[in-house]
Amino acid sequence: MTGLPPVAAITRFLDDPTSGDFDELALVAFEFQYRRIDAYRRLCDARGATPATVRRWQDVPAVPASAFKTLPLAAAPSRRAFRSSGTTAGPRRRSVHYQPFPQLYESAVDASFPVFCLPATLTAGGTPPMLSLIPTSRQVPDSSLSFMIDRVLARWGGADSATAFGLSGVDTAAATAWAKERAAGERPVLVLATALALLQWLERLRADRLHLALPAGSVVFETGGFKGREREVTRAELLALLEEGLAVPPERVVREYGMTELSSQFYTRSLTGGDPDLFFGPPWTRVRLLEPRSLEPCAPGEPGLVAVFDLANLGSAVHVLTEDLGVAEPVPSTPTASSAGFRLLGRAAGAELRGCSLTAEELARS
Amino acid sequence: MLRDHFVSRRRGATPAEDLATEPRELAGVRYTAAAWDPPALERLVSELAETGAAALATVDDRALLDAWGQTVETFLDPGSEERRRLDPALASLCRLSEAGLGAALEAVLGGVRRGPAERLLAEAPPRAVGAAATPSPVVVFLASNLPALAVQPLLPALLRRRPVLLKSPSAEPLFAPAFAAALAGHEPRLGEAVAAITWRGGDAELEAPLLAGAGKILAYGNETGLADLERRCPGRLVAYGPRTSLAALGAEVPPRAVAPGLARDVALFDQRGCLSIQAVYTTGDAHELADALAEELRSLARRWPAGPATLGELAAVQQVRQEADLRGLYRPPLALDAGTVVVEPEPTFLASPGRRTVRIHPLPRLHNLPAILAPWIGRLQGAALAGTEALALRSALGSLGLSRLTAPGELQSPDISWHNGGRHPLEALG
Repeated sequence: MTGLPPVAAITRFLDDPTSGDFDELALVAFEFQYRRIDAYRRLCDARGATPATVRRWQDVPAVPASAFKTLPLAAAPSRRAFRSSGTTAGPRRRSVHYQPFPQLYESAVDASFPVFCLPATLTAGGTPPMLSLIPTSRQVPDSSLSFMIDRVLARWGGADSATAFGLSGVDTAAATAWAKERAAGERPVLVLATALALLQWLERLRADRLHLALPAGSVVFETGGFKGREREVTRAELLALLEEGLAVPPERVVREYGMTELSSQFYTRSLTGGDPDLFFGPPWTRVRLLEPRSLEPCAPGEPGLVAVFDLANLGSAVHVLTEDLGVAEPVPSTPTASSAGFRLLGRAAGAELRGCSLTAEELARS
Repeated sequence: MLRDHFVSRRRGATPAEDLATEPRELAGVRYTAAAWDPPALERLVSELAETGAAALATVDDRALLDAWGQTVETFLDPGSEERRRLDPALASLCRLSEAGLGAALEAVLGGVRRGPAERLLAEAPPRAVGAAATPSPVVVFLASNLPALAVQPLLPALLRRRPVLLKSPSAEPLFAPAFAAALAGHEPRLGEAVAAITWRGGDAELEAPLLAGAGKILAYGNETGLADLERRCPGRLVAYGPRTSLAALGAEVPPRAVAPGLARDVALFDQRGCLSIQAVYTTGDAHELADALAEELRSLARRWPAGPATLGELAAVQQVRQEADLRGLYRPPLALDAGTVVVEPEPTFLASPGRRTVRIHPLPRLHNLPAILAPWIGRLQGAALAGTEALALRSALGSLGLSRLTAPGELQSPDISWHNGGRHPLEALG
């Protein structure tokens, strides 16, 4: 072991994955949380999982993502709190992720975002111009995505970067004006957006019969789904609209998978020719797919529940059983990513209100 | 071969034999599917309005009730040819075990037998003699979570002598045409007035002529789908949106006595009905009630095994279980397929993820329950009540829009006179 306190050791590992050993740090993080979070310790004790007995990160008891809705999971006094959006209709609980160590979140962004989203073509001339369709932290102070995008813009955004998100949502006029200016130049740009925001903009462009051509080499960072939209749009339709409206081809779109309950993000390797639906995490994360009945690892290729081990979550829960479903696809590990890629298949079905009309989709999209 | 459509063979412009059909397979079930385009749907609605309404006008009440009653009895009999043909497919498409399907059909069809149908007829306004008007057909968009749901809107429409077009859900396109065909077998004039078909829902272009020719439109769906329909047929939609149910028990109610009824109201339809209990509020011993309910769910799981679970459902149930464990909540041991019971000290009502998952909320008094439920106003359907303090809530719960208040064990078996969503089934048709 390095002898460093856990926060420092993990921060260093995020900055330099060769500075430590994931397996060792995982156990350090487990002990840190076991000692400091009463509810978690009780669960671990009940399962006979203590720092004295747990030898592998896989055996660290996972915290269900839904627990962030009811328990203040914080291993130290919180310095920041992120809340989920709670977009589903009806009374719902929102996740609250207390962050005693927001610097770990920032380090995670710093060490992973450029690897997946900033190819040399984009940074060759210095920090690239960025357009964000995501509200800033000033607009939505408790959004982890806003926190992340603020960090990205501050750290890597060129001087002429902009946010096109106003009081009533995506400011499509401002986005279009920004894109028109950049389309006239040759400098590639980066567009940061949720899928829903991107769609809103692209539909506006189509309605206005505008076909802008962002400079070759431009990249689109896309996250989230189409929650809150009346009619879901397929991914193929979104990509077609993107090519039509901004001349950005599908292979220049990086997808991100993140959640309020985690501090690290997962990305597709689209920019290096990777599968556009296969997500990879940075080296301080591990992803497993668990069989839904036993919560044991799935057989290779079998779909299961996504469980994430995220060292950057030292302040809350490093091992999280998410509400997402996926399937793993092993690929050779690289120095810049953890070994297993995974595809997302959907989300746990339980949060929606059930009734005689459960199959709402029958009307809307069956 | 099972079919996803029933249209009368007598009808001139769209005889069944002229339909373009193809074999199809869904969840391992093979059937014949009909293809529809806007002109065909327009013709069908127009014919229902003319020939269907005319045929229906000649059917007297007794003939109607006889045919209806016989058809319902046929489908209540697991040994009938219709049931033997339909049951395996229906169980698969509705994701219920065969025993679970049998119980579900008994609950739904038991409420529309001849007796309840006659009682509903007695509430109908007298028919106008010699009325020349041809009533526009009622179009019903059905949902697939409950088998046999088609009978609930169909009977009131026929009693009001309205031709009916039943649009089955894509996920379960077989019950409605089978029932309509059997009904026509008993009384061909009813067959003239009923069509049961399906298509890919939400297709505005396809549905435009259909909606234009329809009178009232009844739809069971989620808010998004219903809002979409409302935009396309403003003022004519009767929407049955998503709703949920609960139980409230007074302190004097013995857990062991009430648990069998509660378990039935939880497990029937695998908890997918709007009258399925999702939470229990009690002023009694919540742990004792949890144990008793878990035991009954365990027993029911042997008699009515749960249907196959989706990965998403299991994931959601695991979240509830794991969260309960993390919070140190009481959760009696129960196999995942038998159900999940959690004693939840927080009073907030939360939707269950299904798969027979129930939260039991201990309360010092029940009088605050209406305030706890108030955020769910418009989304609550029914409550099983037992004990003095619970029964005293009837009026307050009614004010929140709960349309069925009854004893545990009976919640999920309303008869046809039940005012689903607070609406009289006959008045819903205008």
